[in-house]
Amino acid sequence: MKSTFMMVLAVVAMMSLAASAGTISGKVSGVNGESVVYVEAVAGKTFPAPTAKPVIDQKGLMFQPHLVVVQQGTTVEFLNSDTVAHNVFWPSVGGNKKLTHNMGTWPKGEKRAFKFDNPGAVALLCNVHPEMTGYVVVSPTPYFATTDKSGEYKIENVPDGSYTVTAWHEGAKNQSKPVAVAGDSKADFTLSK
Amino acid sequence: MDTRRRVPLLFAFILTVILLTGSSYAIPPFSRQYGTSCTTCHVDFPKLNDFGKAFKDAGFKFPKGDEDFIKVPPIMLGAPAQKELWPHTVFPGTIPGLPPIGLRFNQFFQVTSGNANNYNLASQSTGPYVPRTDFEPGLFSIFMAGNFGSDIAFWVDDDLSVSGSNAGGGLGDAYLRFVNVGHYFKLPTDALTVKVGQFELDLPFTQARSINISPYDIYTEMNIGTSNQNVNNQFAMQDAAQGIEFSGGHQYGGYHYSLAVVNQNTSGGAAATPNNVSSPAGFFSDSNYKDIYGRFSYRFNLEKDPASRHEVQAAGASGPRDHTYLSLGTFFFKGRSVQRFSETSGDTTNLLTAREPFYRVGGDFSFNYRTFNLFGLYMYGHDNGLLLNEGATGFGTGPPAKFNGGFLEADYLALPWLMAIMRYDHVQSSGDFLNQNFLNPTGGNYYSPVGSTRDRFTPGVQFLIHANIKASFEYQLRPKQALTYDENGKAVNPFRTNTATGALEFVY
Repeated sequence: MKSTFMMVLAVVAMMSLAASAGTISGKVSGVNGESVVYVEAVAGKTFPAPTAKPVIDQKGLMFQPHLVVVQQGTTVEFLNSDTVAHNVFWPSVGGNKKLTHNMGTWPKGEKRAFKFDNPGAVALLCNVHPEMTGYVVVSPTPYFATTDKSGEYKIENVPDGSYTVTAWHEGAKNQSKPVAVAGDSKADFTLSK
Repeated sequence: MDTRRRVPLLFAFILTVILLTGSSYAIPPFSRQYGTSCTTCHVDFPKLNDFGKAFKDAGFKFPKGDEDFIKVPPIMLGAPAQKELWPHTVFPGTIPGLPPIGLRFNQFFQVTSGNANNYNLASQSTGPYVPRTDFEPGLFSIFMAGNFGSDIAFWVDDDLSVSGSNAGGGLGDAYLRFVNVGHYFKLPTDALTVKVGQFELDLPFTQARSINISPYDIYTEMNIGTSNQNVNNQFAMQDAAQGIEFSGGHQYGGYHYSLAVVNQNTSGGAAATPNNVSSPAGFFSDSNYKDIYGRFSYRFNLEKDPASRHEVQAAGASGPRDHTYLSLGTFFFKGRSVQRFSETSGDTTNLLTAREPFYRVGGDFSFNYRTFNLFGLYMYGHDNGLLLNEGATGFGTGPPAKFNGGFLEADYLALPWLMAIMRYDHVQSSGDFLNQNFLNPTGGNYYSPVGSTRDRFTPGVQFLIHANIKASFEYQLRPKQALTYDENGKAVNPFRTNTATGALEFVY
């Protein structure tokens, strides 16, 4: 009897959760290639940092993958698979030049880690191979997505409520707009360089 | 010398100064092939950083794992497995996937001090015959470089036009380089490499790929004897040579050596004395005799971390960088110059040819700390000076013609795009002085020295507008010169004719 009651309680809880979590979807146009759309910080809410550590490799004088999106507080590992020396640095985080950081030099096969505690786009550079570039986009919330080739995106499991949603694309100006989430919501962006 | 001759001389001199540096190149084909910037290999093109030196040493390849970096795959001239069939098949090689062509253009603007018109005043002429300012087109050059696989590298460069004149240039370096052939003889890696073709001698500091607008004076110095000597040696250290070069070691650390056997340089051959006639045309060298050039250097990388010390680049706290190092070296050139006497005795004219021995010997150093590089070179030149014997049947020993000098240069890369340069050139040659001034009753040439010693200070600054576009400025504080000398041989009213030169060049 007790177990039956618990099951009913769980089903009710799941149904109520499903009812209060929606999606944000739409299209980012005006630019070609992968864009990032994320929900800006929600006042009064914090989100636990993920424990997974994405890896960005330096291989063939390129950052691979070119773009990584992480939640604020995530630790990213930087690997050097090249036989030449590299370094990784960024001139700013989200345009804040005070957050510039240089991770130094390390040889082939080794990794160095960095925890991204501040939200915003981070342009990864190498000071001896100036053509090398990659991006870490640090989302302040766990609600983010990257677009597909056609510019479509979908952010799932967003609790109902009012948010500010931002679209980012390499080399383009960010665009933010308010979105009220109640079930499935739509938000389209048109970015320009 | 009258003004009509001096003015063309001035232009010839300035143009020579400008164009003597005309073979400096960065290598866009490598940028295209590897998808990387010029600054991967160059500090301030064409000056190489440590990685660029390693890339060159390796035969225009990345020192390790080259194939991982190539963005444009090479075209195979045979499957790699064909190697197993050799010698029953052609050994497979490759050619670059893109035509390995780079182009370069430069141009100049110069301002010459008003002292240049002292020559007009001396000849009682009126009006400024020497313009104070001048725009000068420079070089349009093509160059090709790469690797054919199997560690065979190649380089060809040619000036398509010079100073706005089509086909006014000529072939620069053109060679094949067989890298690391020493492994066939069980020698250590990179202990022996062979280069064949036409090339710049393995100078301690390259002239052909110098960042300076004006050349090093000691590299351009020819040894022209005075009237009591039979020395008219047109050879200068910066000259391209034809021959074969054996080399080994690395330019970025440890030992490096080269030994070249090259043709006698008999270009020029203009008469220094009435009896001296020019060498015959048709051959690069009219002699079986070959000149020899040798160089040895050792570079001490001074990084504290032993692992970093032995890498191509040092592991700096903020990224890879050039090593802190001290390099010491020496070089020696031994050759013979062609000197001829046409001696008439009665109805008979005898043409006597002397293969006059000469040598150049010198030492060099280079110290680098972060982005500051201080380097210098000293060289001594000696030509035997053979003279006709009493019966005019052969040659005997005469007074040798000698000179010495060198340069000291400091390069400071203040910002990745801003290079500051200070240079001091020094040449001492009593022959230059006696030939052109004191013993010359019509006065000296432009820029001829007022004494046996001439010194030049040349501050400069260079800006990389982009990694492949550069603006350079140089101010040449030239040696003192004079128009007339008193009865004691002392210069009357010596003066300097300084020049400010700006250059704009791009490669693509």
